[in-house]
Amino acid sequence: MKPRVAFFDFTGCEGCQLETLNFNLEVVDLINAVDIVEFREISSDHSDNYDIAFIEGSITTDRDIARLQDIRNKAKVLVALGACACTGGVNSLKNFYSMEENLKVVYGESAKYYKTIPTRPAHAVVPVEFFLHGCPPNRNEIIRLIKCVVAGKKFEQCQNPVCVECKLAENVCAFERGEFCLGPVTRGGCNAVCITAGRKCWGCRSLVDEPNINSQKDLLAKYGLTVNDVLKQFRLFNGTLEVAKQ
Amino acid sequence: MQNRVISRQDLAGFVDDLIKTKSAGDVIGIKAQGNKFNFGPLKSATELRLDYDISLLPPKKYFFPQQETVLKYEVEPAFKVEPVVEERMLCIIGVHPFDIRALQLFDAVYGGNNPDPNYFLKRNNATIIGVDCLNPIPKSFAASMGTNTVEEGFDLMLTDLGGDWFVTVGSNRGDSMMKKYGKGREATNVDLEKRNKVRRDAAKKYKTSLKMKPDEIPALLDANWESPVFKERSATCFSCGSCVMVCPTCVCFDVQDDPALNLKGGERYRRWDACMLPGFAAVASGENFREHKEQRFRHRMYRKGKYLLERYKYLGCVGCGRCGTSCLADIALPADTYNLLKEGK
Ligand code: SF4
Ligand code: SF4
Repeated sequence: MKPRVAFFDFTGCEGCQLETLNFNLEVVDLINAVDIVEFREISSDHSDNYDIAFIEGSITTDRDIARLQDIRNKAKVLVALGACACTGGVNSLKNFYSMEENLKVVYGESAKYYKTIPTRPAHAVVPVEFFLHGCPPNRNEIIRLIKCVVAGKKFEQCQNPVCVECKLAENVCAFERGEFCLGPVTRGGCNAVCITAGRKCWGCRSLVDEPNINSQKDLLAKYGLTVNDVLKQFRLFNGTLEVAKQ
Repeated sequence: MQNRVISRQDLAGFVDDLIKTKSAGDVIGIKAQGNKFNFGPLKSATELRLDYDISLLPPKKYFFPQQETVLKYEVEPAFKVEPVVEERMLCIIGVHPFDIRALQLFDAVYGGNNPDPNYFLKRNNATIIGVDCLNPIPKSFAASMGTNTVEEGFDLMLTDLGGDWFVTVGSNRGDSMMKKYGKGREATNVDLEKRNKVRRDAAKKYKTSLKMKPDEIPALLDANWESPVFKERSATCFSCGSCVMVCPTCVCFDVQDDPALNLKGGERYRRWDACMLPGFAAVASGENFREHKEQRFRHRMYRKGKYLLERYKYLGCVGCGRCGTSCLADIALPADTYNLLKEGK
C-alpha cells in the first residue's frame, strides 16, 4: 500500500509547497511512490484519510490550533515543512510587538474584525516527528525524507553547520567578503545556496544541535555589529528561539 | 633528467600546447576566484596565476572529490551491485610543494595492501606541475615544517626567477614533456644557485612558525594528553568543520546509500567527513566517542601531529595554513597549539 500523503498550509507564503512541486522529473516518481490525497496547490481534492501530513506555515490564530490538532489526530506522521512550521519563521517578527499594534499596522481601521496570537511553530502545539527546515526547504531533503518514510528508514537531519557545505562548494567565506553570516551556527542541508549565490546565511534552517552562540555573538561583534544588530540577525528566522530574545 | 630554464612566453606556449593537444589529459590550473585563488579547468595559459598565495581547496579534490558515487545497486528484479569508478587523466598546474607533500600522505593512506581504485585511477594518470610558493599566507608555517620545498612528488616544478622560469624535472614523464616541447635551454649551476636563492628568500617570508622540530611533536603530545590547553582553546570552537574541509591532509569520508524513490535500486556515495564535526564519532547505538568539542579538538591535534606519522610515516599536517585562515574562531592552526604546549601554557 502506498502511503497517503496530505499537505496543509497555515500562515506562510506557500513557497514550501511550490518548492515541493519543483522536483521536475522526480515528481513522476514521487506520484508513483505515494498517493497525494490533499494538496491545494495542485488539486481541489480533499481527504480526511492520510498517513503523512506535511504542515506548512506557522500557527498564528486560535483557529489554526484547532485545525492542527485535528490533522495530528488523523495523521500517523507529522512533518513540519519549512521555516514557518519549524521555528515560526519570518512570522515570528510580530512576537516582538504587541498583538494590538500588529493588527493596527496590518488592518488599520478594520483591526477590530480580526484576532491574532503570537506566532508559534507546529511543535509548540502538537508533537511533530520530522522537521524539514529552510525558507524554502531543500527539495533533495524533502525527497530524502519521503524515501526514508517509504522505505522505513530513519530520517536524519543534517547535523553540520552551513560552513561544511560552503567549503565543499569552494566558496569564499562571506566574512571575508565583509558580510555577517550565520552559517557557523545554522543547520546545513541547503548546500549553502545563499553563500554560493554571493549572499550570506540568514539562518533560515534554524540552529544546529549545539550552536556556539557566545562564539557567534563575539564573532559578529568583532566584525562590527552591536548587540542589537546581532539580535536582529537571529530574529529574522529564529524569533521563537531563546537566542533571539534579550 | 635535465633541469631547464624557459622564458615566460615559452612557458605560456607550453601550457597552451597541453591545453590544445590534451597530451597529458584535461588541464587544471590555479586561477583567480574573486580575490582568492582556486584550482579549476584551464582554458588558456593567461588564466594561470602561478603567483598565488593559497588555493581555497587543495588539489586533492581531483583524486578524492567532495562527493563521489562508489557503487550502484539494484534489489529488483534481482540483486545486483556494480562498482562505479571514474578514471580520468589530468594535468594539474601550479601545485605548491606542501600540497605535493600532502598528496604523498594521501598515496600512503589510500594505498597499502588495499589500494583505493577510485583514488588511484585518477591519481596514477595525473601529471603534477608544481610551483614554488613565493607569497605564503600569514598563517602558513610550511618553512618550519620543511614542506616549503619538495624534492619529489612532481613531474615538473616551476620556480620564478624573475624574468625566466627554472624548471626542475622530477620524473621521466616530466623530462620527456620538456624535451618534446623543446623550447628553453638546459639549466646551468648558476641557474640552480639562482633557484636556490629564490627559495631561501621565500622561506624568510613565512610569518608563522612551529617553534620546534616537527619530529618533536609526537613526544610533546604524549606528555600533554591532560593539558588544559585543549579545553581552553576549543572553548570558542563552532564545530563548524571549516578547518578540516579545507585541509590537504584530511583523508576521511562518510558513506551513505541513496535509494531511488521506487526503492528498486539506488547508489552509494562517499563524501568528505571529518573529526571536528559533532556526528563524526557517533555510532548506531547512540554513543558518541568524542561528544565534546575539546575531545574533538584534541583528537585533531593528535591525528595531525602523531597518529598519521606513526602509521604512515608522514606528519598529518604540512603547514599550509588553510585551517587557521578559515577558522572564524582563530584557533585551528596546529602550530599555535603545539607552540602553546611547548611553552607549557
Ligand atoms: S592542519 Fe591546517 S595547516 Fe596543517 S595541513 Fe591541514 S589545513 Fe594545512
Ligand atoms: S577549530 Fe575553527 S574551523 Fe575548526 S571546527 Fe572549530 S571553529 Fe570551525
